Amino acid sequence: MNKHVLVIGGGTAGITAALGLADSGFRVYLIEKEAAIGGQVASFCCKATEVCTKCSVCLIPQKLSEVATHPRISILTNSTVMGVAGEVGNFQVEVWQKPQYIDSERCIACGLCAEVCPAEPQAICSPSPEAVPLSYILDESRCLRFKGEDCNLCYEKCPVNAIDLDRGAKRQELSVGAIIVATGFEVFDAREVGPLGYGRYPNVLTGLDLEKIFSHEGSLRLPSNGKEPQKVAFIQCVGSRNEEHCYCSQVCCKYAMRFAQLIKYQNPDAEVTIFYIDLQNAGKGFVDFYEGCKETVRFIRGVPVEILENPSGALEVRFENIVGGKIDRETFNLVVLSVGIVPRKDSWDLARVLGINLDDHGFFDARSPIDSNKTNVEGIFLAGACHGPKDIPDSIAHGISAAEKATEVLQRCKSR
Amino acid sequence: MGGNNKIVAFCCENSACAAADRAGKIRLYYPDNVRVIRVPCAGRVDVLHILKAFEKGADGVLVMGCQEEACRHLTGNTRARERVKYAEILLKESGIDGERVRMVNLAPEMAHKFAQEVSEMTERLKGLGPTPIKNGGPQR
Amino acid sequence: MQVKIGIFLCDCGGSLRNIDFPKIRGNLEKLEGVAFVDISHNLCLEEGGKALASRILSEDINRVVIAACSPELCEHNFMRLLESLRLNPNFLSIANIREQCSWAHKEDVTGKALELLRMAINKARLLQPLERKEVPVNQEVLVVGGGFSGMESTLELSQLGLRATLVEKGSALGGKLSELEGFYGLGASPKEMLGSMTRAIEEGKNIEVLTSAEVTRVEGEVGNFTVRIRRGGEEFPRSFGAIIFATGYRAGILPRDFELRPSVNIISQRNLIEILQAPEKLERKPETIGFILDVSDESSRLATLLVLNNALAVKEKWGSEAYVFCRNLKVDSDGAEKLYREARATGIAFLKFEKKPQISEEDGRVKVEAKDVLLGEEISLSCDILVVEEKGLPPEGTEALSSILNIGLDSQGFYQNENVYLYPVDSGRKGIFLVGACRGDLDISRASMDVASAVMGVCELLASGKAIVEAEKVRVDPDKCRACLTCIRVCPHGAIRLVRVNTEKEVAQIYDLACEGCGICAAICPAKAIDFEGYTDEQILAEVEAIGE
Repeated sequence: MNKHVLVIGGGTAGITAALGLADSGFRVYLIEKEAAIGGQVASFCCKATEVCTKCSVCLIPQKLSEVATHPRISILTNSTVMGVAGEVGNFQVEVWQKPQYIDSERCIACGLCAEVCPAEPQAICSPSPEAVPLSYILDESRCLRFKGEDCNLCYEKCPVNAIDLDRGAKRQELSVGAIIVATGFEVFDAREVGPLGYGRYPNVLTGLDLEKIFSHEGSLRLPSNGKEPQKVAFIQCVGSRNEEHCYCSQVCCKYAMRFAQLIKYQNPDAEVTIFYIDLQNAGKGFVDFYEGCKETVRFIRGVPVEILENPSGALEVRFENIVGGKIDRETFNLVVLSVGIVPRKDSWDLARVLGINLDDHGFFDARSPIDSNKTNVEGIFLAGACHGPKDIPDSIAHGISAAEKATEVLQRCKSR
Repeated sequence: MGGNNKIVAFCCENSACAAADRAGKIRLYYPDNVRVIRVPCAGRVDVLHILKAFEKGADGVLVMGCQEEACRHLTGNTRARERVKYAEILLKESGIDGERVRMVNLAPEMAHKFAQEVSEMTERLKGLGPTPIKNGGPQR
Repeated sequence: MQVKIGIFLCDCGGSLRNIDFPKIRGNLEKLEGVAFVDISHNLCLEEGGKALASRILSEDINRVVIAACSPELCEHNFMRLLESLRLNPNFLSIANIREQCSWAHKEDVTGKALELLRMAINKARLLQPLERKEVPVNQEVLVVGGGFSGMESTLELSQLGLRATLVEKGSALGGKLSELEGFYGLGASPKEMLGSMTRAIEEGKNIEVLTSAEVTRVEGEVGNFTVRIRRGGEEFPRSFGAIIFATGYRAGILPRDFELRPSVNIISQRNLIEILQAPEKLERKPETIGFILDVSDESSRLATLLVLNNALAVKEKWGSEAYVFCRNLKVDSDGAEKLYREARATGIAFLKFEKKPQISEEDGRVKVEAKDVLLGEEISLSCDILVVEEKGLPPEGTEALSSILNIGLDSQGFYQNENVYLYPVDSGRKGIFLVGACRGDLDISRASMDVASAVMGVCELLASGKAIVEAEKVRVDPDKCRACLTCIRVCPHGAIRLVRVNTEKEVAQIYDLACEGCGICAAICPAKAIDFEGYTDEQILAEVEAIGE
């Protein structure tokens, strides 16, 4: 029996599954499409006010560094699964890795290469502070060498010989006993709801934008003029619970309420309004949190249909105030669209490669809600939001759960 | 840029150390007068450690642990807060300003808050000047 | 053994330009006990590590001080390297001169770097070796609670080859599964599920079931718990390596939800299920049935799913008109939105209120008056039966057991503190896991994730029959200990116990396997009897000492 397990995707569920398996003695290949592991959550922010609001984002960096230093986990970044053959206990997986112009295993993140890069804009970018591996990244489209020039400055400057601009892509075959699919999710593209003005009005943002702003800047400023927003609206269920996406994204009410509290904490004078259909305020620890929100945040039942920008840059939100039973309008400085979770666009490709099913929504299909890790192929398991919307604690639980199911199936193979 | 005032920061390795690292990674330049002492949990920090830090030449002490209700060891940060409060009382009794010691709660990614707390303490110390210990003990 | 320190300064490929490395070397070389100071450019890479290794061996040093990047990034590798050289990995002290020094400041920081190094050197002088030790662990697992989560835990443990003992308070297994009418959207009826799970438990290897039994006491620590079980008048001790609590929830109607008492026409979900299962009790089919959620408090996911299921069942079996009154319908669980849509498609009406509805009884019927916010109208519905929601409450004995176990409860009285480090299934005490509805409002698919997580946790601890610990990393000096119990009271991980050393004296002892190394005990001990190697008072103060130099 093969004691290796392949984990596809280095987000929350993937790293949790990898750690669970590696800690119980299996060897894990962790395949990540991007240059660094961490997934979407790596760009999320802590939403604590005076106290922790239990968003769980802080759990991720520690797990990432554990993964990076674990002797039984090999990380393959910039890599994609191209083909799978075989069966449970003995899968052959073909993996394609983009050219590693900067060898992430050698890069010490000293930054000397970026200092000498003459391209404009720079072709060598510094990694995000949370990046694992902490390695600089080369953007081919900007690099002079890829434009035919004879530039070799970064190569010459690198003190540890990590750079080789002539490196090619790599194909390799991995042999594993089980596969865990943890490819995560995408957020709904708010541009699809034209009347809400996302992409057109600078002060209409999404929940994901807010995560990044708080994570980088530590506080919120209006994109248009850099001032502190005084009147903020959150619009729930953008891209969830509609005909196309007839499921609840399970995370948006919570993050909206957490952000609302965070904004109020940083600027007690700000007014925050949340427009909603049904508030999802169940779940551990959330009952009390919601009670606290009710005191500081205004909740309006109703989903806005249109946003217009005044010449002054203020946003006029038109909404059907369900409780009042009429169409109202109100102006805000900033509108945040609580975008939901949607399946990744490339899920279909991976489903075909692995031979696993997709459900009606386009997420990977589990055999049953009670056995939500198992797919129609024995030995291939699901973990995290690629199976359906999940918050961080649920993704962690689903990741460990996938590791357990994989352990079970591999033990069974062994005893056969 | 930090002047001659020394700050000792006892930092929890689960949160504050990571926040300090992140501050460096994103080049949030903060005063260089801070010395981080890594501890496994803010709850490891004893009143003795705080007082000794002053005796050995620190002008300010920060105890930095996890966010309230998010301590890796459940109660370590609240115990640290109690001890800091106690240290404050003892300092005052010895003629040292209680504002020289401060408990800070932060999450691992709060680089900005780390930098800000160090800067604020530095400013505070500029106003207070060196501790009386450095001038041959408190004047009674 | 005389301390002989080797110092390695890494300039990170020459990029840390605001530190004058030769100056630091010159300064440190003169210190007592320092064998050499090397400057390297790439300590974290293989070649750097090799150079480091050969220097350690050739100079025969016994303490290693490294000035480099954050220990977060490099500590593991260096510890492994030391181990491979047969040098105790605890003989390592790192000064973070990159993230917390060179990168954090614009100006020249040679002075700061030097001080950070002196701190690390001072600490290194005092470091003591830590030995790794193998300790045996008991591989038997106790599962408390015979509902879905408990049965599933037992089955999964047995599939992974671990012996499980399932203790159930009631006379039969099944818990809430045996009471439910249907799981729409789950593809299996609760009866079938219970049947197949019961069979699997009966046939399963390494399974023992104790019904009508209760846990009365738990002593000991992970790998070696002693549990007292009471069954039919007798009480007996058993030993386990780990415990999974799956005690579920208690369904209850809060009296403050209704001014009215439950009557013939105002019934609970359980009453409705009983009628559904034995329709002969009913004089005539109810034509109009109302369901109500969110009356005084917000509803839970479990209550919502139960109402959706029961409304669908009523519709299917009797074809009654069904109305669901609610404030916020909780659809944030797998399949709930689909179920809600299905319910609406079959003609079940959902009425959403903001203000608490008025409920009154007259002429054997129940009248519900509410303002429906969707229609903006006052609605008055006269129904044959009004079914009230059930709250998920902590089962009886939760509080008592939590204090026996020394694990926390959340604000609703369920197991598990609200602390992200514990999620999903940790209790704060190693080897004690909390799964399913006993730790909060979890639907069945979340509960099954909990079960697998806990079983994985058990496997990591017990599967090999032994565990490796750093022996006496935290230790109590028996001569200083006054057995005041302070440490036992404050330890958040329940890792300290009292042991008898001789006829006169009892002292506190730290159980290495359960200890998570926070040092709270060391800070609080009034007798200063507890030392935490790596963070002893002397070591911390030695670091402090360097600051004044």
